[in-house]
Parts: sequence; C-alpha cells; structure tokens
Amino acid sequence: MPILSRIRSLRVWSAIAAGVLLAACSSNVIVESKFPSPLVEALPVRMGIIIPEELYNYIYQEEIRDESLWTIALGDANVAMLNPLYSKMFRETRKVNAVPTDESLDGVLKTTLEKFEFDVPVNEKNKFVEVWIQYQLTLFEPNGNQVVVWPVSGYGKHQLGHSRQDAVQKAAVTAMREVGAAISTKFAQQPQIKTWLAEKQHESTAAAGVTTAQSEAKN
Amino acid sequence: MNQRQRPVSQQRNQKPRTNWLAARPWLLAAALGPLFGACGVESHLEPYKQTDVVVSKGEQLVVLARKQHSNHEAEEGFVQCISDALAKGDSRLEVHSTKAFEDSMYPWFEPSTAPLSTDDLSRLLEKPEVMQQVKKTGVRYVVWLDGSTDRVASGGGITCAAGIGGAGCMGLAWWEDDSRYDATVWDIMQAESAGTIHADVKGRSVMPAIIIPLPFIARPQAAACRGLTQQLKQFLTSPHGYGAGPEPGIG
Repeated sequence: MPILSRIRSLRVWSAIAAGVLLAACSSNVIVESKFPSPLVEALPVRMGIIIPEELYNYIYQEEIRDESLWTIALGDANVAMLNPLYSKMFRETRKVNAVPTDESLDGVLKTTLEKFEFDVPVNEKNKFVEVWIQYQLTLFEPNGNQVVVWPVSGYGKHQLGHSRQDAVQKAAVTAMREVGAAISTKFAQQPQIKTWLAEKQHESTAAAGVTTAQSEAKN
Repeated sequence: MNQRQRPVSQQRNQKPRTNWLAARPWLLAAALGPLFGACGVESHLEPYKQTDVVVSKGEQLVVLARKQHSNHEAEEGFVQCISDALAKGDSRLEVHSTKAFEDSMYPWFEPSTAPLSTDDLSRLLEKPEVMQQVKKTGVRYVVWLDGSTDRVASGGGITCAAGIGGAGCMGLAWWEDDSRYDATVWDIMQAESAGTIHADVKGRSVMPAIIIPLPFIARPQAAACRGLTQQLKQFLTSPHGYGAGPEPGIG
C-alpha cells in the first residue's frame, strides 16, 4: 500500500511538473475587444448574415521553432467585430443559417476567416509584433446564386512591451479594426457589388412604382 | 570586554580606508567626471506656425499617432505622455481621449483610412455624418505625432563574475538613443495645417561597473515629451509666440 501510494503521489507530481513545463512553453492569447459601430451611411438593402460556427470558435495554433506553442482564440472578437459592423452597414440585417433563403431579403452575406499570420520579433532590432488576417466575404442572391467573393485583409502591428501575449492581442485587434474599416468603406465600391446594388435599387424603385400605380388605379 | 573591544577594532580597520578616499577626492572626481560629462541629453526643437490660431474656451484637441509607416510609429506611451502633459499644469488645454476619438470616428482614423493631408481631411469632412460626429466630439485640433525613439549607437561591455568569496562586475557600457518626433497641428474646422513642431533629442547613457554597475541613464523620450508639450501649449495659446511662416504654397 505505501508503495502504491508513493507511485500515485509520484504520478501527481509528474503531472504537475509536466503541466508547469507545458505552461512555460506555450502562449495563450484570447483576443477580446469592443469594436465600435462604423460611421457610415447604411446601404439601402435587406441583408441576410451567415456567420459560420467555425468563425465563432476560431482558434489559431502555431508552434514556433525554438520558442513555444502559440494558441490564439479569435472567436469572441469575430462576433464583437462583425455584429455591429453589419448592423450599421445595411438598412436591415437578419441572421440566416444557409442559402437559399427567404425571398424578402435582397441578398445574403457569408463571412469566413481564411488566413491568420503573426510574427513576434526574436531580435532586438525589430520591436513590433505584426498580425495579418484575411476574411472572405461571399455575397449571394437569396436563391443561392453567388454574386461575388471578396477577400478582405487587415494588418496590425504593436510595439513589443513587457508582455508578448499582450502585444499579439493588440496587434490582432488593430488588424481586425482594419478589416472592419475596409469592409465598411470599400464594400459598396467593389465593381460587382456596385452593379448588384444598382440592380437592387432599380428593382425597389420599380416595385415602388408598381405599388403607386396600383393604389392610384384603386382610387 | 571582548564585546566592547570589537567595535573599536572595526573602527580602526575602517578609518584608514575613509581617510584614503577622503584624501583623494580628485581621484573619484577624475574617474566619475568624464562619465557624468558623457551622459546627458541634447535637445533641438524647431517650431513652425503657419497661422495665428489659438485654442478658444470649449475647444478640444486630440493627440493621434501616425501609423502608416511600417518601420516606426510614435509609441503609445509617448502619445499618452503628450496627452496627459497638455491637460496638466499651467495653461492646461482640454484634451480629448485618443481612444474615444478613434472609436467615435471609426473607421475614418484607422491606419489605412486616416487622412494624410489636409486635402484628404477636406474630402472626409464633406461626409455629413463625419462632420456631425466631429462637432459632437468638440475636437477642433488634431495633433499628429510622427516619429519614434531608436537606439542609434551602443558599445563597450561589462563582465560579471561570482565566486565563493563574492561577486562583482567590471567594465563600461554606453548607448545613445535618438528621439525624433514631428507634431503637426491640424485645424479641423478650417481643414488646414496650423504648423509643425520638430523635436530631435539625443540621449547618451553610460554604465560603469566597478564591483557594482552604476547606471547614468539619459531619457531622451521623456525630454522630448516635456519639450514638445511646452512648445505645443505655447503654439496653441499664444498667437504672437511664434513668427508666422511663409504663406502656404510659397517656398
């Protein structure tokens, strides 16, 4: 019994030692921030929004040679960035699970996170942590026809201070704010989206004309 | 008796050492004098005001960092130092929080979207929602900070060793930091540049080690913060404190 007890105790201590060693060799970052609503004029469309489950739970992992395993969780930040962004960008937004969907919508926008890269300086000369992030926006007609696929990227850097994790977190937030800025200011300028918006505008004008003519005929 | 005698013997042992140092103050001065001389800060501030604008009561200013450059950027701490110092002391100014301004103006003051020239600013202010928001913040002046503090030279070396009898260091290390910043003031309501203050502060630090390292550290960034703050206060409160520069577009 005492021998068994000693073995158990040894196991516990080994597990604790391994845990401590693993913790020392890994860096965990949870990207969290409040993202402001963009100061833009809402586009006159009713948009269905698809935010896939992977985006809610996005975790990036990379093992840097001779350094440590980095685990960066972006899920909460994705939600915090995209929800206020789309709410302000479009006249009306509605959460949608998939296309084809409700015909009362003008379009459906699906957002995915395609690439995430980061760099932590190892020598004294370079003093910035850098983050590069790329999302992909796919615009669909409500019937499921794809209108355009638009890759949007953002870059952020932050001075390396006392904590590397803190610098990575801040650089990631800057990169995500840049993505939000690009989406809110350049979405309507994309050629295919510009044409699509003009079509939707034309359709709504025509529909309004028909409604007016019908009500006049009734009178 | 022995216990009483011990301090006396210690005093006897220490006395000659004190006398030796006291008798040779020139040796200490000769050793440390050049080091004090080598350590120091050299400041150069160059203000240039294009207009005679002054901050009126109720008008606020915001300090922002230029973030377009890939290799340098005014440090967060430096921006905070300028903001805090402008809001304190004599002729304090109403300073708007940098983060609150960037958030309320989002996405128009992000690294990729911030106006780079007053022409860009004019175009941005043509958007009614942006102009309305600027008025809401109460900010009339934007102070753009551009530059950074970099180590431009370093040399020497210190060696430390430890043994059973004790530990100690020997050697001399030195380094030079250069803080170069430009503070450009924009008048948002007029959509024009009011002028620029250029600060170049060099700081040389030395660390001799004779048994223990003695750091004589110069802080050029802190000196640049103090200098720029003082100049910015003068710049924004006294129309006649500066000679007006040439008319915009000339020279």
